[in-house]
Amino acid sequence: MGLREWLERNSTFLVLAVALVVLAAITFAIGDLLIERIVTVLFIDLVLVLALQVFMGNSGILSFSVAGFMGIGAYGSVLFSMSPAAKAAALPDLYPLLSGVQLPFLASVLIGGLLAALVAAVVSYPLMRLSDAAGVITIFSLLVIINVVLVHWSRLTNGPRTLFGVERFTYLGTSAVFAVLFLGVAWWFKESSVGLKLRASRDDAFAAAAVGINIVAVRYLAFILSAFMAGFAGALWAHFITSFSPYAFYLSAMFVFLAMLVIGGPMSVSGAVIGTVLVTVLREGLRSIENNVNMSKILSTNLVGFTEVVMSVLLVVILVLRPSGIMGGRELRWPAALSGRNRSQGSTGDKSEGGVPRADV
Amino acid sequence: MLSVTDLSVRYGAISAIRGVSLAIDEGELVALVGVNGAGKTTTLAAIAGALKPHQGTIAFQGEPIHGRPPEAIMRKGVALVPEGRDILPSLSVEENLRLGAFVRHSRSEYQSDLAQMIELFPILGQRLRQAGGTLSGGEQQQLAIARALMSHPRLLMLDEPSLGLSPVLVDQVFELIGRLRGRGVTILLVEQNVERTLQIADRAYLLRTGRIEAEGTPDHIRSAVDVEGVYLGDHGRMQP
Amino acid sequence: MITLDFIVNALSLGSTYALLALGMVIVYGILNLVNFAFGELLMITGYSLFVLSIGPRLPWVVMAVLAVGVAVLTSYLTERAAFRPVREHSPTAMLITSFAVSTLLQNAALLIISPRARGVPLPKLFSMSARVLGQDLPIRNLLAIATSLLLLGLLVLLLRRTVLGIALRAASDNFRMTRLLGVPANLVISVAFAISGLLAGVVGLFWVGRTASVTPTIGAAPLLVAFVATVIGGMRSLAGAVVGGYIYGIVFSMIGILLPPGMMEFREAFMFIVVILILLFRPEGLIRGAYSTKRVG
Repeated sequence: MGLREWLERNSTFLVLAVALVVLAAITFAIGDLLIERIVTVLFIDLVLVLALQVFMGNSGILSFSVAGFMGIGAYGSVLFSMSPAAKAAALPDLYPLLSGVQLPFLASVLIGGLLAALVAAVVSYPLMRLSDAAGVITIFSLLVIINVVLVHWSRLTNGPRTLFGVERFTYLGTSAVFAVLFLGVAWWFKESSVGLKLRASRDDAFAAAAVGINIVAVRYLAFILSAFMAGFAGALWAHFITSFSPYAFYLSAMFVFLAMLVIGGPMSVSGAVIGTVLVTVLREGLRSIENNVNMSKILSTNLVGFTEVVMSVLLVVILVLRPSGIMGGRELRWPAALSGRNRSQGSTGDKSEGGVPRADV
Repeated sequence: MLSVTDLSVRYGAISAIRGVSLAIDEGELVALVGVNGAGKTTTLAAIAGALKPHQGTIAFQGEPIHGRPPEAIMRKGVALVPEGRDILPSLSVEENLRLGAFVRHSRSEYQSDLAQMIELFPILGQRLRQAGGTLSGGEQQQLAIARALMSHPRLLMLDEPSLGLSPVLVDQVFELIGRLRGRGVTILLVEQNVERTLQIADRAYLLRTGRIEAEGTPDHIRSAVDVEGVYLGDHGRMQP
Repeated sequence: MITLDFIVNALSLGSTYALLALGMVIVYGILNLVNFAFGELLMITGYSLFVLSIGPRLPWVVMAVLAVGVAVLTSYLTERAAFRPVREHSPTAMLITSFAVSTLLQNAALLIISPRARGVPLPKLFSMSARVLGQDLPIRNLLAIATSLLLLGLLVLLLRRTVLGIALRAASDNFRMTRLLGVPANLVISVAFAISGLLAGVVGLFWVGRTASVTPTIGAAPLLVAFVATVIGGMRSLAGAVVGGYIYGIVFSMIGILLPPGMMEFREAFMFIVVILILLFRPEGLIRGAYSTKRVG
């Protein structure tokens, strides 16, 4: 197709990608270390939220295990990127096979993602055949089990204790590049035939099956892709934060990602981006309030969990008032006037009702 | 007794019915006929409260009922026997009937009502303890009607009671409807089986693609149906 | 070793798990809501016991009843405040809401009480054993079995003999039709949540009874049990929930015996493998309800 048409069709991706690059550039220009950290984490969070969107937005099924795959990617990657000396110090009981290996950062991160995808591929096929509710809670259980394994397999992970000694590889530029990359992946997937089939199955499972769509297969593919992205992001994050424990990949993290996607709007990639940015800003704001209150000792005890309480209330409010999120299933697009021709009908907007399927009265 | 004015119901952006107005007086048997997809079920569902109208008013015995929840409308005396019967499959026949009497409050009345239903529908009496889901189509239809009658409805709405039934059972159903009518029950009957319906109805409305095309006496409707060039087949069924 | 002690232990586990699964399914069957905040009802029971133990000395039974009452009330209130407004929208919206409520309650406990564990009063009975057939059986286990059977019996009575119970079962079959018969939707739903709260509360008493303490995150494990037992048993049927709970409890106990000591910490992981295998062959669960859930492939 012509360049014009390609630009039109993918204008959402381009608009968002440019916005992300601009954000990175501004952050770099400002030069404030704290802001740089926040934005770096924002980019990593975006990849995780996109991972969630790839599965949940297209299939309509919640994937609580994204945080778990993040953990697999994190631990999987550092096992390869840490130097033998660092491993000897942090993981004295590590298996001999692994203690000598060291791979470059990118390779390790890739391995992290692939490992997560592998686990997803092995375990999740039976889950894709379940009805929606059963699927959600079994996928949730997967999160818990991953946590159990990470906590107890101390030889690999240093148990419930923190793992130290990871080298810092993820900086603003790295995370920005991968954010844009995975934005493209999520967008491509959504517009691909697999994505289309998945959305068809979300909107009407019977009709989709009648047309010959193999619902289980498309869900399975989406789930594996989602796991890969989450694992990759986890690996990026591990090399940013440089020390972590299994509980970083559990319910509180999952809640944040879910909030980001739901507030932004689960059915669109734009929603993922908007939600991530908004919630990051909100959380940082709330956290600084929490810190200031604690430091000034206005209250007799420390304010713990305040941020989460406010976030949960906000999430419920959004669900009551606007269940399909801020974007409501629509994608951001390059304004038609600027492209010089009528807006194409295209499949880029999700026309079905609401971000979450309607119930029967 | 029932007056519907300018009713319009939408599914998302699509209008299922538009500008529908009809009225039923006490003791009448009014028919609503039309082909599949004309909007008959939607109309009944809106009256019963299972669907929220987008526009228009529905008044029952002078009181507005549009937009009210289905349980409140039922309590006013409007009973719906839905298309597909909606028998509660894991409940026994008796439990289905017991639930039909939910809005009544007298235990002794329930017992005598139950006895009456068994008289009207002997086959139900034989299957009282059986799960509703194990009944045949015809039996389920009888159960659905009996269940509706348990509530002593002022207005009984029947959505395609003959659907999927063998000719013998269809005869039985229409005969029953006639009998109920004879006992003074006000009935709104929705059917695809035009001829049989027009034989017993006092008045009728013809619905087509969501609008009332014609209304009046059975003869008037018959000619309206003819004029549209719609073929009346063997069983008097309308073809789209 | 399959001893009497083991059997009683497995059955007591199964009994509590059955109640958990039931508490989950009773709401799911009617509303299609997977209630993530269900585990927090146990947490609230524990914290109620803790708070009550600070005040004037009350007999444990009184405190227990009050604590369970708080759980029932909380369940009822979360429905009114959080789920009812979202009910019109969709099961997924309700599910996310329940997850948000769960997070809210956990963090509220963190905020208001403490992130650290708090001690919970237990009746003397819980630390005693009875001598049966030459073995010392913990009374706590026997009580768990007895209480579960009692509650199950009462529930069956409610569901089969009362009009309310019939209405509840009908709502689970076809909520729309049940409303068309004049049954008030809100009443049915509130009752279902109250029952769910009652079951969670009773299980909560036994759950905190094991460690004599309560933490904000204590609800995660029972929630997992409720989830998995429900899925194994078949999400649409109450009987399935009970069966799923007992199977979970018994298999879990068996895994405990079969695993080498070093692997004991991974018990849940192995249980999950068993669950995956069950789902591989029976995605709709082990007990086929009269009208099974949608199965996709």
